[in-house]
Amino acid sequence: MSALLARVPRRTVLPAVAGIVLLVVAADAIGRLGLAGAAWPTVTDVVDYLTSPTAQTLLGRALAATGTAAAIGFVAGGLGALALALLGALLPAAGPGLDRLAAVVHAVPLIALAPLLVTTVGREGTSTVIAALAAGFAVFVAATSALASTARAGRDVFAVLGASRLSTVLRLQLPAGLPTIVDGLTLAAPAAVLGAVIGEWFGARRGLGVLLVSAMQNVQIPLLWSAALSAAALSLAAYVLLVALRGWVTRRFT
Amino acid sequence: MTLAEESERIVRARAAAPVRRPAPRTGGVVRRVVSRYWTIAVLLVGWQLWASLNGYNRIVVPQPGEVVADVVGNSGAYLPDLLATLGMSAAGLLTGMAAGVALAVAVWTSPLVSGMTTPIALIMRSVPVVAMIPVLARVFGYGWQTVLVITTIVSFFPAFVFVAARLRDAPRSTSDVFAVLGASRVTVLRRLLLPHAVPGLLVAFRLTAPSAVLAAMLAEYLMGGRGLGVLFAQSVSFYQPERAWGTALVATVVSVACFVGARAVERRGLARMT
Amino acid sequence: MSQPAIALQSVVKEFPLRRGTAVRALDRFDLQIADGEFVAVLGPSGCGKSTVLRLVAGLDTPSEGTVTIEGARPADLVRGHRLGVAFQEHALLPWASARANVELPWKVAGRPVDTARVDELLELVGLTGFADARPRQLSGGMRQRVAIARALALTPDVLLLDEPFGALDAVTRRRMNLELARIWAEERITTLLVTHDVDEAVLLADRVVVMTGRPGRVRHTESIDFPRPRRTEVTRDPAFHEIVDRLTRLLDESDEPGHSDAAA
Ligand SMILES: Nc1ncnc2c1ncn2[C@@H]1O[C@H](COP(=O)(O)OP(=O)(O)OP(=O)(O)O)[C@@H](O)[C@H]1O
Ligand SMILES: [Mg+2]
Repeated sequence: MSALLARVPRRTVLPAVAGIVLLVVAADAIGRLGLAGAAWPTVTDVVDYLTSPTAQTLLGRALAATGTAAAIGFVAGGLGALALALLGALLPAAGPGLDRLAAVVHAVPLIALAPLLVTTVGREGTSTVIAALAAGFAVFVAATSALASTARAGRDVFAVLGASRLSTVLRLQLPAGLPTIVDGLTLAAPAAVLGAVIGEWFGARRGLGVLLVSAMQNVQIPLLWSAALSAAALSLAAYVLLVALRGWVTRRFT
Repeated sequence: MTLAEESERIVRARAAAPVRRPAPRTGGVVRRVVSRYWTIAVLLVGWQLWASLNGYNRIVVPQPGEVVADVVGNSGAYLPDLLATLGMSAAGLLTGMAAGVALAVAVWTSPLVSGMTTPIALIMRSVPVVAMIPVLARVFGYGWQTVLVITTIVSFFPAFVFVAARLRDAPRSTSDVFAVLGASRVTVLRRLLLPHAVPGLLVAFRLTAPSAVLAAMLAEYLMGGRGLGVLFAQSVSFYQPERAWGTALVATVVSVACFVGARAVERRGLARMT
Repeated sequence: MSQPAIALQSVVKEFPLRRGTAVRALDRFDLQIADGEFVAVLGPSGCGKSTVLRLVAGLDTPSEGTVTIEGARPADLVRGHRLGVAFQEHALLPWASARANVELPWKVAGRPVDTARVDELLELVGLTGFADARPRQLSGGMRQRVAIARALALTPDVLLLDEPFGALDAVTRRRMNLELARIWAEERITTLLVTHDVDEAVLLADRVVVMTGRPGRVRHTESIDFPRPRRTEVTRDPAFHEIVDRLTRLLDESDEPGHSDAAA
């Protein structure tokens, strides 16, 4: 968050802080007054729970599991998507089919993939694969549009120089498209976290998704909210990390 | 860059549709169809081969034919749940997009509202909303209300961001014409800014429609009640693999259809408004 | 000259830049336009022509000096819906038909649309057959004609035109000039036209004001006495070319270093 706030002009900070304070106070008030029923805890309930050692080991282990699945999914999905996008750029005949595939795979509801994944990669692998698919789609869309949008003039220069398709892609389209691809990565990181959490709903043994569902079923309200906050924090952290990376790439390559 | 611009940039990046590539120059219809759909065909053939070569029995991996037969033959078993899911998604889309437009207009009206809601909107963007279904299920109860709430939240953010952005970037010369004609703020909003924002709303619709359906199914899957998600959960626990895979197939077709439909609506709308 | 319809008195306009610096776009600029007079303002790019027009339109306020229309502030005329304006960009609503675009001023003013007047305007600009077409189905020149019909809709007291034909090719532009001359001869509305096309200014205006480079001031004023309605024959009159040549030379001098951006 601080990476983001650092760039905000001062006059917008005050209302922004006011907005966030208001949000926390409102959340606490709803809990205290019981406006949303017993399932809405006060902020102190959640903070108390979060600071207890048992909660910390439990959440820590879940965070590690989900974080690992998301990270592996992010890297694998990102690399796979990049490879597919490059393939599409190298073999124009394959391109439209790959676009369709990406659109369809993205539109396939995760729930429909579950039976397929549970039988192929098992209950534990499902969450990683869904994370990879979610991240991969974001990267694929960004990469195809980045590779396709290289300025015409640049490509004509390469064509006149008699460059092969491979060298045009590697020496021109890829470097020129890098900022857009990194944009895709900033979207892919939170998408991978979300994919990992949802993937855990289909029978994983460990992870934030598992905690969320079991706390929901057993009405463990502070645990439920703590797990939800952890998932949100993980997603935000992934995003901030990638924004920082994007800043570095922008400075380095443009 | 302010927070608002940052979140807007992100959502805009996500709005980028897959690139339309020029079709290969040579060849006729067959070639075009093959070049577009070869991946789908490969998927289907792969499924069939995988199921028969491994000699899986039908409990583990049913064959494509069996699944299609169940969907076509027992469509009565799917229809009520399909309609329930579609109804919830449509209702959530409507309320969520309406709320997004309303907040965008509120933000346009007052810089204070804008300053206070922007960080909240950014936080909402970073929260994996769909992963919060268990929390919402506890707060709003197991039932259709929660499905509606989740589809509404999912539909809200893109509509808010895109409409808010369009309200801010009306062409300057047109705004000047309205100013010189002595238009009130309400008139500017009604006759210039809201129509100008329609393309933004259409993009939001294309982005949101499949997500709303997906969120509805996940919520149903976790909570029970009615809908395709429930049908799926039940057929898994009662060992009805054709039904489970059939539900997956129906869900896929519905979702792809929503995407294609929303894209068509967007194209037609854009043609009308620009 | 009785009370002028439009009066700018020693107007200064500065635009703030970063860190306290400012550009001075206009420097003690004086201009008076009589009732029913057509004045064209000529000047090199960036000299502040559009700024003059925006001040008269009430879109900006002067840093020093006063701008009055019929003795009142521009904002008062705006509130009474008594100004008409057309810019270089047609600024039409892309989702509305030509007719609906011409009807806009009535709707903005909250008055019932005068359908007969809309028909008359569409005929005046030669677009009767295109009433239901939307802007992107029209050519550039047709769009600009719709914009002018819209500017004339409420029979405004003052018509403001900022390079209304600036985006058109030379041939279309000349045709549109002649058409505007015809339309104006029928309506005779006090008009301020901003342009950098000398032919256009001389063909249309009763008086041409040439500005210096930035900061803009009045450098020269030229009365144009060709009888109205002016048709294409005017442009073949040697006197026309003599005036155009003289004004062009003045413009070229305004553009020389010392007057222009090169010094800044
Ligand atoms: N809103 C603004 N902010 C800062 N500077 C401005 C603004 N509007 C105009 N200027 C400056 O004022 C000067 C005059 O601008 P103006 O648009 O009036 O020129 P112009 O004569 O209409 O030029 P052109 O023929 O190119 O349209 C320019 O130097 C411009 O940079
Ligand atoms: Mg100008």
